[in-house]
Amino acid sequence: MRDGTAIRIRDLHKDFGDVQAVRGIDLDVYEGEIFSLLGPNGAGKPTTINMLSCLLEPTQGEAWVMGHSIRTDSMAVKEAIGVVPQETALYPDLSARENLTFWGKMYGLRGAALRQRVDQVLETIGLTERQKGRVDKFSGGMKRRLNIGIGLLPRPQVLFLDEPTVGIDPQSRRNILDQVKEFNRQGMTILYTTHYMEEAQELSDHIAIMDYGKLIACGTHEELVKIVGELDRIELTINAKSERVLAGWQATQGVHEVSAEDSKITLLVDDSNVVLPRLFEAAVGAGVRITAVEVQEPNLEAVFLHLTDRALRD
Amino acid sequence: MRVIDLAVKDWRQLLRDRQTVFFMAAMPILFTLFFGLIFGSAGGETDPRLPVAVISADSSSSLSGSLLSLLEASEAVRPVVEEGVSAEEAGQWVRDARYAAALFVPAGFGGTVEHLAEGKAERLASNGTIAGDEAMQATLIVDRSTPAGQTAASAIETAVTRLLSAAQIARLATEAFEASVPFEDQAVRQAFHHQALASASEAWREPPISVAVEQAWAAGEDEQSQPNAFAQSSPGMIIQFTIHGLMMTAMILVLERKTGALQRLLPTTMTRTQIIAAKVLGSFVTVFAQQALLVLVGQFAFGVDYLREPVATLAVMAALSLWVTSLGLLIGALARTEEHVHTWSLVAMFFFSALGGAWFPLEYTGKAFNTIGHLTPAAWALDGFQNIVMRGLGLQSVLLPVGIVVAYAVVFFGLAVWRFRFE
Repeated sequence: MRDGTAIRIRDLHKDFGDVQAVRGIDLDVYEGEIFSLLGPNGAGKPTTINMLSCLLEPTQGEAWVMGHSIRTDSMAVKEAIGVVPQETALYPDLSARENLTFWGKMYGLRGAALRQRVDQVLETIGLTERQKGRVDKFSGGMKRRLNIGIGLLPRPQVLFLDEPTVGIDPQSRRNILDQVKEFNRQGMTILYTTHYMEEAQELSDHIAIMDYGKLIACGTHEELVKIVGELDRIELTINAKSERVLAGWQATQGVHEVSAEDSKITLLVDDSNVVLPRLFEAAVGAGVRITAVEVQEPNLEAVFLHLTDRALRD
Repeated sequence: MRVIDLAVKDWRQLLRDRQTVFFMAAMPILFTLFFGLIFGSAGGETDPRLPVAVISADSSSSLSGSLLSLLEASEAVRPVVEEGVSAEEAGQWVRDARYAAALFVPAGFGGTVEHLAEGKAERLASNGTIAGDEAMQATLIVDRSTPAGQTAASAIETAVTRLLSAAQIARLATEAFEASVPFEDQAVRQAFHHQALASASEAWREPPISVAVEQAWAAGEDEQSQPNAFAQSSPGMIIQFTIHGLMMTAMILVLERKTGALQRLLPTTMTRTQIIAAKVLGSFVTVFAQQALLVLVGQFAFGVDYLREPVATLAVMAALSLWVTSLGLLIGALARTEEHVHTWSLVAMFFFSALGGAWFPLEYTGKAFNTIGHLTPAAWALDGFQNIVMRGLGLQSVLLPVGIVVAYAVVFFGLAVWRFRFE
């Protein structure tokens, strides 16, 4: 069943009443890799993780983690995984060490083994010096690191990280990304969900893009970028939204996709050097002023835009 | 083992919260003292005897006075002299349980008793009246279908019998004295007779020989178990503040759900049943420990004798802990925010405390309120405690209250498990 596969998902569905949160996913995550689920809010990423963690029963389909069925062998699945939820699921009135000790006990650790593991995890997440501090006095980044530390306690073969960098400062984010790479270097398979394209791009061996509960693309970063070919991505900011200028740009030679969000317009074009002057010309003709221009090489944002006609928003 | 670890974590969180500890331990002690002072005028002892209204129109007679004196000496009833009360009003008081009975003493009653003592046949009617001279009969209004009514009627009948006996003794003594030494005049004879009557009545207040009555199924009251004012306030405040303690159980649950910690327990190989069991254990032990503290304070600081029947006390404490735990679990399952927990817990505390008789004895409130109050488990838990500390009863007397409180706990627990959410 495994063949080097850490996670295998087949036709996985989850419905909440009339809402189809996950609508038929097929996926393979290989042992020792970092696999990112990338998608906007509401794409179904946490629901997928919750099914893989045996927190939710699938409506249809099946998945195996380290060869164990999430439907029939949930205890074995739980013993193989560590879960880091998006929420900082901590006890704020306990210290960092007390939190880790408590969760260690919940994972079945006891005595000297528990103390040793807590010490190791505190060292790994860089909180040894603050181990006695109450968590409600911690910064957002420290809480995130402690949140991750709890997921590491059972020495999981597979670690699920659900949006671990939401709402923290750039320095803490950098720290967490470096830690994730380190966990992976130590042999841990990581399933990482995010809606930050740069994180998925930096970390992942493979990336699956999700939208509205479906997998719309999957592959390495290079494979995904090839979907949009050699298209450049141009982001323009204009002084006032105008249907006339949007129509003009849509009709401009070399433009493939146009998407607008208020005064920010995103375009996929053949060659930005050639197309940009034409865009300025059309704007002048429509009486619109361009106030900012940003040009990017092909990336995951462009892939998402290409596949969904929508920007992958934060 | 992990069930205990999770419960220990809850206790640790609880003990870190000084405000909660203050509300669970210090506040009930302060309130026990406060209500005890209200009930017992600076901690003095209250009179646990059944109140009986005495409406006398024969105040000039020394025999009527002797009857009142004999009633005051009773261990079962406490006469309360009322004036200007109609039979309808007195009947209503008895129906409302304000008085266990009401005794009407008509004008000329004393003369009738003396008349009887001179040789006419006396009769204690079984229909609740004390019949002597048809025109001067005393009337007893009582509900003999209740234990209190039966006790009161019995005590009053005893007092009347003793009064008749004292009158006869006085008459015989007067006649015997007169046979050997004739009185100088009628006034001297009358004075001798009154003196003899007073002595005989006084002798009946404390008979030199009596039969000690002992209930087969409960230990009788001993000197130490005489209830005091705190015997009402201590169990009342135990019930009120253990109900308040459920707020902590519910709050921990809501906060764990809010932070995601409750859901995070699920991938740790703990089952849902184990998690709920841990929550129940944590809350039960907390509430039980709180009660143990308050019982010990009641015992040693306020003289409320819980430990005269330790097994019965433990049974009531365990039942109350189970019910409060179930209620806390239910509120924790239903509440979505901390504000919900605060509001619902306070509503529960005030509702059950007021209706359950934690603030004032339900016996003082009338039959309707008493009946409604006993629809709540709080009233039954209080009955259980009061059977021990006020009525001097034993384990058997708390079995019904404990059973009813446990039944409520089962219902609340079922609802809580049905509505329990992890996210």
